[in-house]
Amino acid sequence: MNKFAKRTHLYEFHRKNAKMVEFAGFDMPLWFKGTIPEHMAVRTRVGLFDITHMGRAVISGVKSEAFLNYVITNDVSVLAPLSAQYSVMCTESGGIIDDFIVSRLEPEKFLIVYNAANREKDFKWLAQHARAFGARVEDVSDSVAMFAVQGPMALQTLEKIAGAGVARIERFKCGWIKIGDVDAFVSRTGYTGEDGFEVFVWNSPVMEPVKAVQAWNAILKAGEEFGLEPCGLSARDSLRLEAGMCLYGNDIDESVSPLEAGLGFVVKLKKESFIGKAALEKLKAEGVKRKRVGLRMVEKGLSPRPKQEVWKDNVKAGVVTSGLFSPLLQVGVAQAYLGVEHAVEGSTVEVRLRDKGLKAEVCKFPLYDSTKYGYARVK
Amino acid sequence: MKYQDYEIPDELLYSREHEWVRLEGKEAVVGITDYAQKQLHEVVYVEVKGEGSGVVQNETMGTVESVKSVSDVFSPVTGKIMKVNKELGDSPELLNQEPYGKGWLARVSLADFKKDKGRLLTAEQYAQYLETIEE
Repeated sequence: MNKFAKRTHLYEFHRKNAKMVEFAGFDMPLWFKGTIPEHMAVRTRVGLFDITHMGRAVISGVKSEAFLNYVITNDVSVLAPLSAQYSVMCTESGGIIDDFIVSRLEPEKFLIVYNAANREKDFKWLAQHARAFGARVEDVSDSVAMFAVQGPMALQTLEKIAGAGVARIERFKCGWIKIGDVDAFVSRTGYTGEDGFEVFVWNSPVMEPVKAVQAWNAILKAGEEFGLEPCGLSARDSLRLEAGMCLYGNDIDESVSPLEAGLGFVVKLKKESFIGKAALEKLKAEGVKRKRVGLRMVEKGLSPRPKQEVWKDNVKAGVVTSGLFSPLLQVGVAQAYLGVEHAVEGSTVEVRLRDKGLKAEVCKFPLYDSTKYGYARVK
Repeated sequence: MKYQDYEIPDELLYSREHEWVRLEGKEAVVGITDYAQKQLHEVVYVEVKGEGSGVVQNETMGTVESVKSVSDVFSPVTGKIMKVNKELGDSPELLNQEPYGKGWLARVSLADFKKDKGRLLTAEQYAQYLETIEE
């Protein structure tokens, strides 16, 4: 382990209870009990993740809305205070710089939560373009602890701590709750496909971890009766992959446009101007040549892995960008980019795994039955 | 014997790639060590070359997968696979539960064990080897 790796407020808890891994320069838990039990806890009960490693910036100023609408592809003018939306920001040529959640805290104050691996790149890009608007961009990454409480019993878990008011915070809305003595900002968002909350403990530098540790322990305790498990990065990855969410660096990067990634819903071409608009308009008019799809192996066996080729009738059809064994479906699953002519839901393709070609079905996201799992499940 | 949490039965021989060998006459039963299964964690799929296939010491004889990772299994001996553990098809978790027992991988008829032996470690040597890699 790199001795210079950064630690979160919960480092001592993780070190004692988890198998550790270095990720984006942080010493993080890979798993506690194991990927499978943690994954299943989130799909069927509730799980708690430390996601303090993520990047966070606060954007403020009279023209903060105009600035954000110029630098990101989604439209923040539709966001009422205490609402959140998913978005990306693009290069001039329409490549994805990063994907993230933007929340409007106050009429002229926004919070962006972006990928840990892109902390520096995103902050620089935001700060550079904010100048023209006189908007202020403050990197608060190192002074905020952040947890995710995810799963069908996430709401009950937080209600036990903060009372019935938590339920009034709807999906993609935010609010303030009390966790013991600690004031926490929460947004009803996540990276698992399940209902749940992301919890921010503000003004909580790593060197003074007491508040963050108190909040973590309170959630652990409240979730005990529901079978809550602390979860690591491994289950975070398997959960988001099943849900069809992108992992930056794997499924999206600057060589991919949001239209190809199936993220067209966050590209608002009706906005007057934003970085990448011309390139994305052109691509939309011409039509994309490849699309991100889900794959599900037809038979048990080896799981697909990133960079493996996908073939259809002896023609190369695309490439796997994320792949693993799905703890829920008990079979290999993947996200892949296929030529649009091959991206046909229900069709069969072949994943080239080492010296073998194994059959996979092209699927829409999420890969699980959304009437039984995920935030939209039928209760 | 034991090194930290890792079981290392005295009567077996070991490879530096974390496979074990149990000599039974002119054949050997092979598998992965307790250390290896703890590193892999949660094995979800095991694939071993078919019965009748030749294997060469330190060359790939199969694959072990966990949710997120893929690892090659290197044969600790040279010879021919007589039998593979078919139970692993439905129950790959046996590798985690009983790495030296029901989680065995294959039975190999040995070609030249004297030669293989030169590159294998005793339990004591394997424990020392783990110490060097587990700093």
